[in-house]
Amino acid sequence: MRHHLTYQYSLEAVKKYSEAELVLLLKQRDQTAYSYLYDNYSGALLSVIHNIVAEVELANDVLQEVFIKIWRQIESYDDTKGRLFTWMLNISRNASIDTVRSKGYQNSQQNQELTEVKQEAAGSTQLPIDQIGLRKVVHQLKEEYRVLVELAYFQGYTQDEIANMLGIPLGTVKTRLRNALIQLRTVIKE
Amino acid sequence: MNIEEYISSGIIESYVLGLADAQEVAELEQLKGAHPEIQAAIDSFEASLETAAFANTITPAADTKDKLMLALQDEFVDQTNIPNQQTKEAKVVTMPLKPIPAKSAKMFQYIAAASIILFVVSATLNVYFFREYTAANKQVVALLNEKNALFTDNNNIQAKYQEITNSLQLMSDTNVIKVAMKGIAGKEGNLATVFWNSKSKDVYVLANKLPKAPEGKQYQLWALVKGKPIDAGMLNDCNGVCKLKNTQQADIFAITLEKKGGSPSPDLTQLYVLGKVSS
Repeated sequence: MRHHLTYQYSLEAVKKYSEAELVLLLKQRDQTAYSYLYDNYSGALLSVIHNIVAEVELANDVLQEVFIKIWRQIESYDDTKGRLFTWMLNISRNASIDTVRSKGYQNSQQNQELTEVKQEAAGSTQLPIDQIGLRKVVHQLKEEYRVLVELAYFQGYTQDEIANMLGIPLGTVKTRLRNALIQLRTVIKE
Repeated sequence: MNIEEYISSGIIESYVLGLADAQEVAELEQLKGAHPEIQAAIDSFEASLETAAFANTITPAADTKDKLMLALQDEFVDQTNIPNQQTKEAKVVTMPLKPIPAKSAKMFQYIAAASIILFVVSATLNVYFFREYTAANKQVVALLNEKNALFTDNNNIQAKYQEITNSLQLMSDTNVIKVAMKGIAGKEGNLATVFWNSKSKDVYVLANKLPKAPEGKQYQLWALVKGKPIDAGMLNDCNGVCKLKNTQQADIFAITLEKKGGSPSPDLTQLYVLGKVSS
């Protein structure tokens, strides 16, 4: 509840556009609206990205990419399908997963493992992603649920792929993922 | 189907987070129309997701916004300059599914025609500006090359100018004795000049007119003191005035062509120029 109030308050202080106005102005290519969008949503979207991309610098690169995508794809946003934030959240999640799955990233991760000891000594720029945002919430779930949300939400595997990976029936994956999400919802709402 | 059970099955969260598969999405979107409480549940979960994300914001790097604004600066449209809210680019007009009244159909035709015209104009302008840009780019490259060439020329000229200034200073020094060495019989066309500083005893030679030394050979300066030749140094490939060895005493200066690196005593058959020091 405390979070909810903080959010309300912070929005009141800067509120300028309603979501509908904002979307309309963005579709008209308005710079002020875009600047407003960035100022108001970049922090929240960066936390979403950060849940998947641990390196601070890389996460900022993904954020930049996400805002370019939002700008270029705003025409395709349909407010009858959901809130603007949900739409942007899904763009952020997909861009982050693409980054983490890219070859360049995989290689850099391997190199990092080799120099991990050195990195730790030098003070790495990675934030502990288990301690922020949705990932922190997911961390509180039961192990069998946690794995499913991890694979499905943070790594972008389809339920079919997960069933194959874990060697459990698709029906079980579905049920468990649903149960995990119900729990997730309860935790988020707290 | 019990809608309440359906809503609390996790399908709402799965749908909003983009985890539902195509079949689940189709089913939900179909049920949504008939059951407003599904939409309400979706709205509620979206709102709580947004609230949770805003409770965990991370401040982006300070320069990210500037980079973005710079990258998109050509794509912003200044609303104040557009009187009737029409954007520059042709818009995609979604046709409504309801039958269109005749009057409004006419209107759509006009709008469609207008957007095609706008598109053609925009495409033409693109081609035009791209050509302009290419031409300007070529000009810039040409100008840059020219600038570099001029810069090199300028450097060369400055170096020459410096040499000439040095030579002039040397020649105008009152302590310097100038010895003109003229070509000997048979080599009358040749001329070289020694500048000998009577205080510092520095010797400089200006090869006014000497044939280019053949491969493996070099000109050598001699100071003759009471008929005895003393090596005064080799003329290297210096431009203008060459500094040679300090020479304490000399009655006559002469230049012979010797093997590269010089000889201990002059080969007088290869004497080119000679000049007496006027006392």
